[in-house]
Amino acid sequence: MEPGLLQSSAWPLLIDLYFFLGGLAGGAFVIATAANLIDRVRYQDVVRVGYYVAFLAIIPCPLLLIVDLGVPTRFFHMLMVSKPSMDIGMSAVAVGPFHLKLYSPMSAGAWALLAFSVFAFLCALDVFLTDRGSRSMAWLRTTAGILGSVFGFFIAAYPGVLLGATARPLFVNAHWLGALFLAVSAATGGAAIALILSLLRGTGARDAVARVMRITSVALVVQLIALALFVASVRAAGSVKVSAALGQLLAGPYSATFWLGAVIIGVIAPLLLLLLRGAAQRGAPGMTVLVSALVLVGGFLLKYVLIAAGQAS
Amino acid sequence: MARTLAMFTDVSLCIGCRACQVACKQWNELAPEEPEWTGTYQNHAHFTDKTYRLVRFFEEPGDDKVGVRWHMMSDVCKHCAQAGCLEACPTGAIYRTEYGTVNINQDICNGCRYCVSACPFGVVSFNHDTGTATKCTFCNDRLHNGLGPACAKACPTESIRFGFRDELEAKARKRVDELQKLGHKDAQLYGADQQGALGGLNAFFLLLGKPATYGLPEQPKLPQKNVFMDSVFSIASAVVVGLGALLAFRGRGGGDQGGS
Repeated sequence: MEPGLLQSSAWPLLIDLYFFLGGLAGGAFVIATAANLIDRVRYQDVVRVGYYVAFLAIIPCPLLLIVDLGVPTRFFHMLMVSKPSMDIGMSAVAVGPFHLKLYSPMSAGAWALLAFSVFAFLCALDVFLTDRGSRSMAWLRTTAGILGSVFGFFIAAYPGVLLGATARPLFVNAHWLGALFLAVSAATGGAAIALILSLLRGTGARDAVARVMRITSVALVVQLIALALFVASVRAAGSVKVSAALGQLLAGPYSATFWLGAVIIGVIAPLLLLLLRGAAQRGAPGMTVLVSALVLVGGFLLKYVLIAAGQAS
Repeated sequence: MARTLAMFTDVSLCIGCRACQVACKQWNELAPEEPEWTGTYQNHAHFTDKTYRLVRFFEEPGDDKVGVRWHMMSDVCKHCAQAGCLEACPTGAIYRTEYGTVNINQDICNGCRYCVSACPFGVVSFNHDTGTATKCTFCNDRLHNGLGPACAKACPTESIRFGFRDELEAKARKRVDELQKLGHKDAQLYGADQQGALGGLNAFFLLLGKPATYGLPEQPKLPQKNVFMDSVFSIASAVVVGLGALLAFRGRGGGDQGGS
């Protein structure tokens, strides 16, 4: 009866990749900061790998976003325009040519991405210089780590809030997407650190790897809870269109990717392996590599399938 | 701000001639498009970057007396008082004019397409030629020259009317009363109430049936209403994960490092 009343942004795979990489960077940064705060000497491997992963993963992010724009040369309009318009929304804050719109997750996210990149650079630089024999600027790393973690969490969560603030039937009444994306990001960030540590250090990094995997399992539990709450919040809305959108995700064309990829590979299997098999819990390299790979693949698929099903709904 | 301007589309007077659609195309110099088969006389299936006014055709199964009820409705950007596209736009390209209408500044838009999925009515469209988002401008150039929108000017039955919002709203309410007296029990206004959904629509409608009959959402919602709660939940998630991280590094040896 209503041929396509709503329209889709038609965001391509570039955006899925950004949501994955940006989240991974935020998650890895936060974990590295936690390790740095508790014991920077004992966990120096976690700190080093975490800050490097965060920095390397965030480098392609702005490029992915800019390439996707209709007019890439206007990328800086996300932050400023030379001639600010009069009334650009209820939450707009304008200082000179710069503007921030608190109710537009994309506007806030652009600023957060900029801020996070600076802190990720500073921390990676300090690690790099320390490795080269310079004296570490402890105060700088700690300050940048704490401030950067705020933005790291932001980078991890805001894509979910952004999707939740659209009129797509799957998202219009949905809550918990931000919490879900944050948990996925932390899990993938932890998995990336554990994977690299296991591959580089083998059994030598067992204690550190075991601790990182413990963080990953906490994130996976949060992820599972947030996912259930997200589905429940969509189901509660109950309109025909919303139910149809949810059906597409849970039982329709996206169900295989969702259940097999995002839920079983991404959460259930790694959690079972972590909780039941002592080997992964103790940071054994082989098992860690397997579990980390599952978490990374599943984390990407979860973000991918939510975006795809949301845009198709 | 000047007095708010509005468009009032009365579907009871629409004859589906599409003069509005053509006038809109001509005035705004929108290129022709390949027609497509949508199952009715409607062309196109939805708004495009070259179709800002769209006459929608709906068939409603009737009863024994009436076989099929045929509905025509000239659809357009609603210029919502609380506009999802405007709030979503990260560049400030989408702004509210002094007339209360919503416009996209084509020199600022960078084509992120967030507004496209933030519109509760599927109005905003992406133009692949310019790389920017486009939609009805309420003929902003005509307004500045003392003219009404081209669609309202062209409508031969006065189904589309243009004027000050308060005056149009009063006329619309009178028209609903008339129609109800004539036996159209389901006649109702959509978006006229400024206390209602989205703070009222500056392009509002008179419908002869439920909004769903015309493919309109019963209770359109400002998508940004989710942002606050979602942020609170995100912070809760961050606290759990952050504490989990600190505790994981704090506790005694996690691995089997012998007695360490």
